[in-house]
Amino acid sequence: MKMLRQCATLLLCGALLGIALAPAHAQQTREEMARNLPASGLSSDELKSTQVNLIAAPGFAKAHVATNPGAPNATPVGEKTCIGCHQLEADHFTHTLHALGLHTANKADASIPVCEACHGPGSAHAQAPLTRGLIIGYTKNSGTPIDVQTKTCLTCHQGGPRDHWTGSVHQRNGLSCSDCHNPMSNFSTEGLMAKQSINDTCAQCHQDVRMQFNRRSHMPLPEGQMSCDDCHNPHGSLTNPLLKTNSVNETCYQCHAEKRGPFVFEHAPVRESCLNCHTPHGSNQNTLLVAPIPFLCQQCHVNQRHPNDLQTAQSLRSGAHPDERIMGRGCITCHANIHGSNAPSGAKFHE
Amino acid sequence: MKTTLRVSFAATVLVAMTGCAAPGFLDLRAPVAVSGNADAGAQKAAVCTACHGPNGVSPIPTFPNIAGQKADYLYWQLVEFQRKVKPDSPMTAIVAGLSDTDLRDLAAHFAAQTPAPASGDANAFADGARLYREGDPARGFVPCQGCHGANADGNVGGGEARYRAYPSLRGQHSPYLVQRLQDFRNDKYALSSNDHIMHGVTQALDDQAIAQVAGWLQAAPP
Amino acid sequence: MRTLRSFRLLPLVVAIGSTYALADTGVGVDTWRGNKLDPTAGAQGQIPDERGTNWLVEGQRRSPTGNLYMCPADAPDVDTFGRWVGYGSVQIGGIAAGGDKNNALWNRYADWDSGLILGLLDYTWQRPDDGAYANVRASRISEDDQYYQAVFGRAGAYKVQAFVRDMPNILTSTARPIWNGVGTNNLTLPSSLTPGGSTIAQVAAVSAATPERTLSVKRDKQGLSYSTFLTPEWTAYANVTDEERKGARPYGGPFFFAFAFAGAPFFTDTGGVNETVKPINDSTISVNVGLRYAGPVWRMDIGYQGSFYRDANTRYTFQSPFTLSTPLIPGAVSAPLYQGQMSTEPDNNYHNLQMTLTRKIAFDGEVSLSAAAGRMTQNDRLIAPIDCQGVFGIGLGGSLALGPQNPFLYSCNDWNTTAALSRQNADMRIDTSMFDARMTLHPVADVTLRGGFKFDRQDYRNVYMMYNPLTGQYGYVSENGSQGSIVPGEVGIVDPLNNTGAPVRISSLPLDIQTIDANIGADWRFTDKNTLGATFDFNRYEPTHRERQQIDDSSLKLTWVNRSLDWLTLRINYTYLTQSGDRYNYNPYGFTFSYSLPGYAGPEPPSHTVDAMRKYDMSSRDENKLDVMATIMPRDDMTISASLRGDRNSYDAQIGRQNYDTYSATLQWEWQPAASTSINAFAAIDRSRLKLANVQDQQNGAGTDPTLGGPNYAYNGMWWLRDHQRDWYGGLTLNHVWRKIKFDAGWNYIYSRGTDNYRYAGSSALAYPATAPNTGPGSGAFPAMVYRVNSFAVGATVPLSPRISLRVFDQYERGHVSDWHYLGFDAGYVVGNRVYTDGGPVSYHANLVGVLLNVKL
Repeated sequence: MKMLRQCATLLLCGALLGIALAPAHAQQTREEMARNLPASGLSSDELKSTQVNLIAAPGFAKAHVATNPGAPNATPVGEKTCIGCHQLEADHFTHTLHALGLHTANKADASIPVCEACHGPGSAHAQAPLTRGLIIGYTKNSGTPIDVQTKTCLTCHQGGPRDHWTGSVHQRNGLSCSDCHNPMSNFSTEGLMAKQSINDTCAQCHQDVRMQFNRRSHMPLPEGQMSCDDCHNPHGSLTNPLLKTNSVNETCYQCHAEKRGPFVFEHAPVRESCLNCHTPHGSNQNTLLVAPIPFLCQQCHVNQRHPNDLQTAQSLRSGAHPDERIMGRGCITCHANIHGSNAPSGAKFHE
Repeated sequence: MKTTLRVSFAATVLVAMTGCAAPGFLDLRAPVAVSGNADAGAQKAAVCTACHGPNGVSPIPTFPNIAGQKADYLYWQLVEFQRKVKPDSPMTAIVAGLSDTDLRDLAAHFAAQTPAPASGDANAFADGARLYREGDPARGFVPCQGCHGANADGNVGGGEARYRAYPSLRGQHSPYLVQRLQDFRNDKYALSSNDHIMHGVTQALDDQAIAQVAGWLQAAPP
Repeated sequence: MRTLRSFRLLPLVVAIGSTYALADTGVGVDTWRGNKLDPTAGAQGQIPDERGTNWLVEGQRRSPTGNLYMCPADAPDVDTFGRWVGYGSVQIGGIAAGGDKNNALWNRYADWDSGLILGLLDYTWQRPDDGAYANVRASRISEDDQYYQAVFGRAGAYKVQAFVRDMPNILTSTARPIWNGVGTNNLTLPSSLTPGGSTIAQVAAVSAATPERTLSVKRDKQGLSYSTFLTPEWTAYANVTDEERKGARPYGGPFFFAFAFAGAPFFTDTGGVNETVKPINDSTISVNVGLRYAGPVWRMDIGYQGSFYRDANTRYTFQSPFTLSTPLIPGAVSAPLYQGQMSTEPDNNYHNLQMTLTRKIAFDGEVSLSAAAGRMTQNDRLIAPIDCQGVFGIGLGGSLALGPQNPFLYSCNDWNTTAALSRQNADMRIDTSMFDARMTLHPVADVTLRGGFKFDRQDYRNVYMMYNPLTGQYGYVSENGSQGSIVPGEVGIVDPLNNTGAPVRISSLPLDIQTIDANIGADWRFTDKNTLGATFDFNRYEPTHRERQQIDDSSLKLTWVNRSLDWLTLRINYTYLTQSGDRYNYNPYGFTFSYSLPGYAGPEPPSHTVDAMRKYDMSSRDENKLDVMATIMPRDDMTISASLRGDRNSYDAQIGRQNYDTYSATLQWEWQPAASTSINAFAAIDRSRLKLANVQDQQNGAGTDPTLGGPNYAYNGMWWLRDHQRDWYGGLTLNHVWRKIKFDAGWNYIYSRGTDNYRYAGSSALAYPATAPNTGPGSGAFPAMVYRVNSFAVGATVPLSPRISLRVFDQYERGHVSDWHYLGFDAGYVVGNRVYTDGGPVSYHANLVGVLLNVKL
């Protein structure tokens, strides 16, 4: 299996490298591309020459010119007019998935706009580009209220993962979709994010959380192996803090299914919340623990006999009386199955 | 394969050494305000007057009126000619020996002159008026007034720097405007960021539309 | 059940044919695939378009909050293939690691072998005619660190995605496991050691001779997802993933205490402590399917999530090398036990069905109802209570013959099969249910009213009784039989005649939980640029079989968003929370112990714990939380982001956690002087302070008085600990393009320092009172726990031709770590009758240099 995968990879790379080193064929320069920019779709001549017998994809079939309360009398002008001034934007936008979908839909049904699906009708803006709010803008000082911005995006993107946007902490704090997304170009490889990745985008505001991932033990986020969105739904959810599932534990079980059990013998705080002992992002302890063992455990375990002893540095391997309750793994050297045990003799998580 | 790589490597070193940034590109997205000495400019203007008239009102309609034009615009145009935006233009040779101070002074001088009066019948260019004010969504043409002002005097911008370099068009010679718009459309005048904008804007104009807009501007819109 | 290996092929089959991910922020994981070489999976290598974003305006616009957008990348050069256009690139080359290249911290979630790598392959096809697209994206750093994904679809119609991803998790690079069979479920000692009969010196010699090695767990995951628009309003999705984990990790292995007899040389033959190696060999299949409707008035979202976990092992066994021969009865002998067992995680199944219905209502409002029902089950075949032959326990008078004369001796045959269990399978189950209702209204344009109610419940089904039908006894066998072979009566088996020691567990602990939450709030935009919000929340948490049956918390959260200054966006959130509950019962677990059995006639059981103990999840508590975020725009090309956060928790606990406070401050500076240049710098600090109190018992485990200040939990046994964690962070990133050559440089720094200071009321609080200078109060500290990493990276990407460029980079990292848990381990992993596998984290310096060829395809 390994060999198969390696071979497949090498073959794929080799083939693609071959293509790359072969003489360029039919490659368009940027200028040629610009000349072939899409038609406005509003001219009957162009319609005749480019119309394809196609039905717009359902996701774009109902796209329409966005409503801009800031320019109630404006009328649509079509993409080509926009590109008159916004050539560079068009150059960058053309390669996004939004552009692909909208251009195709526009070809199939000329009433489906491209730029104006998001930016609203352009005539008033074109005549007075300096008057703020005449076009739906998604930037600071665009003059478009945040709720008009978000409502416009939600025209197409409502429901599903964004079902609970209204009332979510991000909505209440006045965030706009464009605080995190910039669909005008592929800044990120996925998700049309405003920064290069989901994680970089979140760190714009949550740098303190991002920093926690630099600690000694952490989730594999700085290494690009996961994203904030694996656990959180920034668009709003039923669970604080914007968790994707119905509880902290359910969120953790998505990757740590072995911890789900239920075990024959359960450890009450483990079943209650993983966060009783672990920090979710990063920790200076081993395995994202909140505090060093044994003190982590001794927050609750007084009991009788050995759990409630105060250890000192003399109990370390380098001390006068090394003690397994604090050396190495500490408590969990013996109580190893601390997340729960399925052994009939595992009541104390020994087995 | 090996050879290809070797050739590529050699190419790299060459490219890296020579550099390949766009030669002469002029970024006018946020130009600083241009100031010059109009009096000094008057002393240096002799060479200009032959074509552009003693007071900047050109007697030959293929040469632009420059009287009353915005100083910033005039200055940047001269800079473009110095950077050989249109090598075959007589301007290229004329500005070649001028210093930056000369350019500033000349710009200040002509900006201070009285603009040319209107000429022509604005009513003959109703289509031009519409294109200028409203554009034409059907052909993808953007209204001119957004940048050049409702009165075509270039006075818009509310203090935004980029508007400094947008020219006044009011009363300009129609034949000059026609030539200029055609140059933009055909990408024969492409050096500054503004030239790139005009190239995009003029893509939607055919010769008839250009004539209409130019005619209407010469007739001096109300 | 093992996953079908052939399933792993599927994505590649699909791939012969990426960038648009499954990435559903509503459901599931797998939203991102990248690696440490390029966490952005391609974005960071893009060259910014020197022309900028826009011909009209210089520089970058800002997001509504005020962060600068980036300069878009150069538009790709596109090839035409009939009706398709395509573009992309491949990056291949070599990397070489030097220095401490095997270090676990350096290799955290990365596997940087030296050798050839596929840095990135990224190719996109688009068919403008109908909006069809496809993308492949792949990176292979090494066998354990690679991903491949393929996507195809039609924009606005459907999308199919497949991926394969292998991720390493290096747990330690200083492991010296003495056992054979690491990674399997059977750890055996080498022939030079005798199970249950080796001396400490022999074990130490074997440990010292074992070469250091790495223990790691590799996660191999593959997934397939499909989503489609059925109509403009109806969409459906289905995702299936399979993840396999393979490897080994340090784990436990008790054969009775070692510490209790330290310093008593005649007691070195009392079993011991084994840090064993647990085999990881499991797989999880996850399934998400759903149907969504989004119309002008109604919305609906119905989804099913399933997860199926399978572990190849039920348990693993290990041989303890240490001698177990001398019980705490003069003249007696211990049964010669050496075989240990550790159960692994049982297979489990999970199903959850959830539905949300939302309707737009009057006043620009919305009402949303959600309900979910789930079930998690686990029905693994149970293992026997002990893995031994012959007898376990204590043989009085030196005799290991079973009979009434040997009341502390037990027959293995009575306990070493599953016939000794009250049932053969675990048969455990938790049913979950959830209901959520919420509503928002805008009675006037600038006012939002919000209200919500949530009900959540976990019903724990079934209880496991620890009853042996073969002997008619309750209980279990503690620590592989070792405890009862040393301490008479502590075998774990209820025996009213002979066991008068500690109480014995007789049943499992069901943990049903119910939560209700209600909240109401309002937001008022009192000027165009100012919004005030307030939310009141009440939460009632009702666990069963816990110290409290009802815990209520009420919180008030205030929000202020201010944009009235052009150069500043300010967000301030403050929360006050107070938590209390019903009477605190310090021992709700009595029903799981032998003294609750009908007819229990033993002595009064020792108190479970001290009555003043308050477990922090159950404790009354006050919390104050402040969160200030500022985005400052000093110039058009510059952004400064600053945040200040503080969260203070004060617990009403004489014993237990008393305070837990966290604070952080961050400052980020971003400067984009030109399309070709960007600079980012940041600095941050954070702090946490945890304070706890505990108390040492004074009556050798027999005290029946739970009172703090009583004879058992005397005040002079009290001790306090303050754990203080401080982190300093800094970093700098530079990106500059000069004559088409892209330079990048980065520096990342963290310095963590954790300190643990304790004080005690009297020396009797100490584990080793005799070592205290006197019997009175005292204090002390642990050595600081330090983690410090300096990471430098420089790189240049030089164009060789319009299609080919060369990337050269170097990353140097220096890490210093000091964890007192492992202080002194360099002197050997065997400490008395304890054998450790893991030597802990170690400092490192390592360098990675790479030369990669980028080819535009």
